[in-house]
Amino acid sequence: MMNRFELLNLLQDSIQDELVVCNIGLPSQELYKINDRPNYFYMLGSMGLSSSIGLGLSLAVEKNVISIDGDGSVLMNMNTLATIGNRAPSNYTLLIIDNGSYGSTGDQKTFTNERTSLKNVAIGAGCHNVVECSGEETNENLQKALEDKDNAYVIISKIKSGNVPIKPIPLNAVTIRDRFRKEIGLVPYL
Amino acid sequence: MKISQKIITNLKSGGADFFLSVPCKLLANMITILENDKNIYYSAIPREEEGMGICAGAYLGNKLPCIMMQNTGIGNSVNSIVSLLQLYQMPVVFLISYRGTPGEPVGAQGGMASITEDLLNTLRIPMLHCNTEKDLDKISTFTNHAKVIESPVAVLCNFNLMKDD
Repeated sequence: MMNRFELLNLLQDSIQDELVVCNIGLPSQELYKINDRPNYFYMLGSMGLSSSIGLGLSLAVEKNVISIDGDGSVLMNMNTLATIGNRAPSNYTLLIIDNGSYGSTGDQKTFTNERTSLKNVAIGAGCHNVVECSGEETNENLQKALEDKDNAYVIISKIKSGNVPIKPIPLNAVTIRDRFRKEIGLVPYL
Repeated sequence: MKISQKIITNLKSGGADFFLSVPCKLLANMITILENDKNIYYSAIPREEEGMGICAGAYLGNKLPCIMMQNTGIGNSVNSIVSLLQLYQMPVVFLISYRGTPGEPVGAQGGMASITEDLLNTLRIPMLHCNTEKDLDKISTFTNHAKVIESPVAVLCNFNLMKDD
């Protein structure tokens, strides 16, 4: 099994100009280290809301949007799976990196290590195209999701826990915001 | 319906074009109006904190979002307001049915009502109080103000203003 750093590395083959919203803490820090791009929105606070931010964005733009989230974060904001199940447009993909642990806080175990299946939760919440796969199978499923112009997807990528030594992202929030909006082709309001 | 229509008209003329709500009896007419409005996006959502995230994404996609909720929803959303909307300087209009203000029949609403304004002051969120129909004329400018200052703003609609609408 691969860890999150290895999976995020692998994803760089699939992600081109898609708009990516990335989860707080180590996932964003690892993504920044691997391949910083202006179409990556690093969520620096608000744990749990990566899925929701991506949903709001996908409702506002035509481009493909990928929310990269974690099992601990989805457990914190599970109600949004119901909103995604009922409202997500076809340009939305939720990629849940499920390593069964709260990686950024010291790898404490989450309930996906025990009896909770986020696949079953997502299906129960009304999501239609829910795929659970290994880290190695993630790119092919993500490609399929990005190419499908008629359906939103939830992909749950099961990997092992573990982190690499990493530093906080040296960008402030408004810089992340502005370069992301510029990437979408927006001019500032004023 | 007259008050609700006026609020929506003013929110829209101020630029709001993306609406979410967590229901309240006092928001029911506004929700009906929005459900039938083909010119804007509207959805009900299960929880306010999630709504702050959806609004943040909609703003990144060039919308001016408005989330309609009871004042209790501010309590559910404090971290997301500070560490998302304010950290990234994102304008969002909070249209708040101010439960627990005079006229309120449910005593249990008094608790959140008693801290709502202190909470919004602590959060440094500008407030517009609507006690009379005339106050509603200020909503349009106030909505646009959110864009100008790149910050959430809160419109508080008192119980007695809404109850007979």
